[in-house]
Amino acid sequence: MPSSDSEDFESADEGHTVEKKERKKRSSSSNYSDNALENDPGFKEATSSSSANKPAEISKETDGWDDWDIDDNETLNPEIVLRTSLPKPTETSGPLKKEEDKKDTDWDDFDAWGQEIEHPNAQPSKADPQIKEVTNKMAATSTGGWGWGWSVDSILSTATAGISTITSQVSQGISTVLETGIGAPDPEELARKTSKDIESRKPLSDDSDNVEKKEKLTTQDNDHGGSTSDGAFPFGSLLSGVTKFVETTGTKVIAGGLDTLETIGKKTMEVLQDGDPGLAKKRAMLGLDPGDKPVLSQVLREAKAKAEEEDRVREEKREAKEVHYENLFDDFEGLVHLEALEMLSRQVSMRIEERMRGLEPDKRQDLKETLQQVAELCEMPEEEDDAEETPDGMSKADALHEKLQIATQDLGLKLQFQPIVKQYTEILNWLSTEDPTRTDKGVYKRGVSALAQATSLCVEIYHKAGEMLLVKARRSTADEADSMTQMTVVLTKHISELATLFTEKLNTVASENMNQVNNYITNIFLEAGNSSTYIQNAFQLTLPILQIGAV
Amino acid sequence: MAYAYLFKYIIIGDTGVGKSCLLLQFTDKRFQPVHDLTIGVEFGARMITIDGKQIKLQIWDTAGQEAFRSITRSYYRGAAGALLVYDITRRDTFNHLTTWLEDARQHSNSNMVIMLIADAFSYHDLIFVSYKLRPPKTKPKICMQRNFSGIDMDSLIKDAREIDWSEVYKAVSVDEKVHANGIKIGPQHSTGGGAGGAGGAGAGGAAAGGCC
Repeated sequence: MPSSDSEDFESADEGHTVEKKERKKRSSSSNYSDNALENDPGFKEATSSSSANKPAEISKETDGWDDWDIDDNETLNPEIVLRTSLPKPTETSGPLKKEEDKKDTDWDDFDAWGQEIEHPNAQPSKADPQIKEVTNKMAATSTGGWGWGWSVDSILSTATAGISTITSQVSQGISTVLETGIGAPDPEELARKTSKDIESRKPLSDDSDNVEKKEKLTTQDNDHGGSTSDGAFPFGSLLSGVTKFVETTGTKVIAGGLDTLETIGKKTMEVLQDGDPGLAKKRAMLGLDPGDKPVLSQVLREAKAKAEEEDRVREEKREAKEVHYENLFDDFEGLVHLEALEMLSRQVSMRIEERMRGLEPDKRQDLKETLQQVAELCEMPEEEDDAEETPDGMSKADALHEKLQIATQDLGLKLQFQPIVKQYTEILNWLSTEDPTRTDKGVYKRGVSALAQATSLCVEIYHKAGEMLLVKARRSTADEADSMTQMTVVLTKHISELATLFTEKLNTVASENMNQVNNYITNIFLEAGNSSTYIQNAFQLTLPILQIGAV
Repeated sequence: MAYAYLFKYIIIGDTGVGKSCLLLQFTDKRFQPVHDLTIGVEFGARMITIDGKQIKLQIWDTAGQEAFRSITRSYYRGAAGALLVYDITRRDTFNHLTTWLEDARQHSNSNMVIMLIADAFSYHDLIFVSYKLRPPKTKPKICMQRNFSGIDMDSLIKDAREIDWSEVYKAVSVDEKVHANGIKIGPQHSTGGGAGGAGGAGAGGAAAGGCC
């Protein structure tokens, strides 16, 4: 699901942004110096007029911390030297520079450094990152230049203040780490504790006075207002960064997972509800709505009804096949005879065409006329309903045989009419037999079957006639055409006779369903028409065979 | 009757070699030594089941007389197989095999399988031996058998009634056509004769007139 992916990604991204923001915040908070610088200028500006060196310092404060350190040391000390013309500042500047290296050292040094606090000379060097700050504050608290004494005092106080600031700041840093990482007690409380410690230590370390204490408090306040010192910065930010990272990663993973789950859920719901608001259909399908639960007996009843219906349909199909005219026609070999006749007819037609192509144009015209004459001879005469009566003392079947014999007497072939006569006899016998169990359906089936069989036999006669005509030694096309036409008339009449016999029989059969009987009668006539079409087709297929005898 | 496939077979060979007898044997499982002279073509059909499929085998029993030769030629089209029959007791029927083969090859599909049936209809009424003469892509060859002297007639004689002719027809690669080609044939159309490849003769023992 791309959408969920993107959303997942988004959420992860959001996590990142949050993290970034937090990191920014933290870095800014840990960059106490920035805040201090920002906060201080106002402070300094207020006091800048009192000391000549301030403006220069302020201008440099905007620089980076490290630069500022060096600048401060460089600028401050020379000034002191200038003002006091004492060797002491230079002395202090020595250790100061020495301690500058130490300033960059790590936490472990802190303890040692704390011990070094005992020595006043070392103090300024420890405090050097804060020196400027402290001096600023000093300037703020101490009004006016005190001349010589002030400078010494100020240096000392600056040093102590610097130390106290650092300690407090370091503790602040720890507390920050604890706060963010472990959830330690309130940082202010901690800070207060540390400041107390420092205070208790102070009398030993230096000869601090009230002003210094005040200063320390202010710096502490400042620290609280601002944030951790730069000394705490690497550890605080690193540790808290790590913890925060772990925390945020965890949060991100959890949040991301939840987001993904939510997305999947939403998407699933969307898909489910697609085109089915309210899931009405799905509910119905799953049968979740208690009201729609089907009853077992109902299901069984339905299944039974369905099975019965299927059986009925299958039976109908089987019966339909049984009385299917085309199938019966195929079974009685009518189809294959027609096919064979068609093959013969096509071959003979090709032979005629071939012969015509090899002829001169005028002779070709003669040939065409001859072919046309033969075709005309084979045109079916108008239906003349001469209602011929069956001669007395002769069965209908024999009458058919006789008619066929008469029709084909000029054909010059010994055609076998026995099969069709035999079949007719059988049909007549069947129809004349009284059978109380006979149903309309039975009569109908027999009727369709009889028609299909009779038609098959007719087609066979045409097929045989065609074959025999082709092997006939001496052709008399006109007679043949006439005989074949007459035979066709007799055969089609025979078919209609069969149809009439069966429909008459159907009418005599008692049936409750007259509609069904009428349907059967209609079908019988329909199939009789079908039979006639087959016979006409067979006759037309014989035409080329008759024609080739004339060319 | 409903069927899934229809295969057309054509029986060819000289007159009086027992073609119609062969058809009757196949369709009615009946032996009738005396037959009317066949005019043009007669038909016989039988349903067989292969692999649960109903298959209609339609046999076109052609007239062997020379007069009907041209008519017979027009009936090859669409045949899946041809049964070329000769009488082992009548040398001329064997000699004419080449012309019959030419006819068959010329007028039929190249995939049509030709089976040679050595028959002793006029002599003992009984012997049927069949060979598959033309498997696909194999050139048919007729080996001339100079005389019948070395043949153990008793071993060849079999009651025609004992031969399951559906096996003979099946041997003319019905299975192959059903399975390999799956030609769907409606009632109106005869098969277009796919490639056959079934094994050798289905019935009978060693042959007299043989071929390779």
